[in-house]
Amino acid sequence: MSAEQAILQRWIERTLKSYPDGMAGFLGEERDPFRNPVGHTLRENLTTLLQELMGTMDQKRVAPALDALVRMRAVQNFSPAEAVRFVFGLRQAVFEVSGAVPDSLATRIDELALMAFDQYMSCREQIFELRAKEIRRRAQYAAFEEGEEP
Amino acid sequence: MQEKLIQIEQEPPRGDWRDPHVEFHKGAMCYSAAAKNLTYLGLPNPRTWQPTDSNWKLPPDWKKIILAGMKERLKKYRSFRLFMDICVRCGACADKCQFYLGSADPKNMPVARAELMRSIYRRYFTLTGRIFGSLAGGRELTEDVIKEWYSYYYQCTECRRCSVYCPYGIDTAEITMMGRELLTLIGCNINWVMEPVANCYRTGNHLGIQPHGFKDSIDFAANEASEITGLKIEAPINRKGAEVLFVMPSADYFATPHYYTLLGYLMLFHQIGLDYTVSAYASEGGNFGFFASHELMKRLNAKIYDEAKRLGVKWILGGECGHMWRVLHQYMDTMNGPADFLEVPVSPFTGTVFENARSTKMVHICEFTADLIHHGKLKLDPSRNDHWRVTYHDSCNPARGMGLLEEPRYILHQVSRRFHEMPENTIREQTFCCGSGAGLGTDENLEVRLRGGFPRANAVRYVKQKHGVNLLTCICAIDKATLPTLLEYWVPGVEVGGVHELVGNALVMTGEKERTTDLRGEPLASAALPASGEMEAVHA
Repeated sequence: MSAEQAILQRWIERTLKSYPDGMAGFLGEERDPFRNPVGHTLRENLTTLLQELMGTMDQKRVAPALDALVRMRAVQNFSPAEAVRFVFGLRQAVFEVSGAVPDSLATRIDELALMAFDQYMSCREQIFELRAKEIRRRAQYAAFEEGEEP
Repeated sequence: MQEKLIQIEQEPPRGDWRDPHVEFHKGAMCYSAAAKNLTYLGLPNPRTWQPTDSNWKLPPDWKKIILAGMKERLKKYRSFRLFMDICVRCGACADKCQFYLGSADPKNMPVARAELMRSIYRRYFTLTGRIFGSLAGGRELTEDVIKEWYSYYYQCTECRRCSVYCPYGIDTAEITMMGRELLTLIGCNINWVMEPVANCYRTGNHLGIQPHGFKDSIDFAANEASEITGLKIEAPINRKGAEVLFVMPSADYFATPHYYTLLGYLMLFHQIGLDYTVSAYASEGGNFGFFASHELMKRLNAKIYDEAKRLGVKWILGGECGHMWRVLHQYMDTMNGPADFLEVPVSPFTGTVFENARSTKMVHICEFTADLIHHGKLKLDPSRNDHWRVTYHDSCNPARGMGLLEEPRYILHQVSRRFHEMPENTIREQTFCCGSGAGLGTDENLEVRLRGGFPRANAVRYVKQKHGVNLLTCICAIDKATLPTLLEYWVPGVEVGGVHELVGNALVMTGEKERTTDLRGEPLASAALPASGEMEAVHA
């Protein structure tokens, strides 16, 4: 196993630990993306993020991967800190495998954490907007009930 | 892969699942039922409270009421006792629930959710449980257990996906139903269920629309269908002596995108010259009583046969709705039947006898339309739907509740040329729920809905990325109300529509003017695809 693979493996394991006891087995092992959408989303996008952190940080790949992860964790009953903590899990994963975290990588991880926080906020804002939209729609129906046209 | 699955920890987690304490979070719970709605329905313990309160103001003898309620139901429903007794905790259901898959909360494993009640059953209704208590898997019935039931039985959409995989045939949805019935006995209901129930009981439909409002909205739709086609389309209301009574979910005439499906029905009925009527009292196919108790379900359902009798029709046709069909197909006949004053439904255009509806006398619109198409009774121009790349979401109740799998697909293949199935293990009887059924589709519960709907959205995203799908069709009013929000969050760019909306688009009507837009007013893209024989691949 290459160092990069070992780091990825540890990063995924650390992230899985944020889920309740007994979940890591299923989320980590079931590979059918439709039977295990949470596990699949984690594996696929952490893989992409690590490739980019080690590579060129292509925003066209980083942004969607980070969005997929944060979008999911934004509705999974995590506190804001817990929802984005997985980014810092990479620092420990790299340290465990390599014994040190290069400065350049540490900077990129910090950058990624800030992006994750922005993305988390944007997902939460979207949830509130969607709620508001549903309430507005309900108000329209109520008005309709009072005799206005649909 | 199969070998790996065997190693998955599928037992309910040891140690912590017995702790009933739950935290209620705003955004991930349903608000309590307003006292006025319980009072209107004559239900127990109307009061002002919320799940986040520490004191739920339960009646002083709540424990006695719950245990007596359980005892009564264990005696009355053999299935309930059987389901309490026979589970061997094999775990086959564990990873099948979309709420578990989306939330990763172990108590959302169907086996664990059932265990919340089974542990009470063991403690109070089995000899070993009474003697050995927790050693025999029993738990004390405390207020925390009631709060836990409220939390988890209102995180289950009664979709029955888990029951498909149970080797014993345990229907976990029925355990949720029992949980909700028991909670109803002590006034622990949610408002998103009880307000429609109270409205329905008063006027016949969820919004409480009165007959004149109903007439206005049906007339409005008939006028719009007339404008689109250039024909004089009418929708008869409360017409005695019609051959067919048509019942639809009320959302079809007040909500979008449901409304386009209503236009589709009206155009279809006009074109074939169906002798039908709608009813201002049986103005709701949906039945939220089903989400609270069998008594309420029965009370609300009675209007359908009553109206059929009063109007003197021969048989009943039903529109695109989900749980409506579970009630009609599986309960109506024994609850409010026999409908011996009706005739076995026969299509007046094809002569087809709907043998499957011999007893209920009620036919699903998709069965009816598929039969018309099969016998060549409709002229269809599928190119009018070329602006849509279509997939189909099997709504849980028609799919798993009544086995309606082929008819909607048959219709979609005839009315569109760009149809793509989602992956096999997410459709048909394995379909993933929208995450908002059984009364959970309210905004205050949006986070739970987004979690529960994630597996469905994940499969939609797959066909969007692979085939460019931009329309998710379905035949359920709750789906049509809630999937747009779900998709906006997870898969922006995919719209939601009904099967009969696409029928309305494709239907070539006698004497109609040239169509330049679809039923949504969007321009047609007829020239975009080669004329024929160029159907796209059907399977993902």
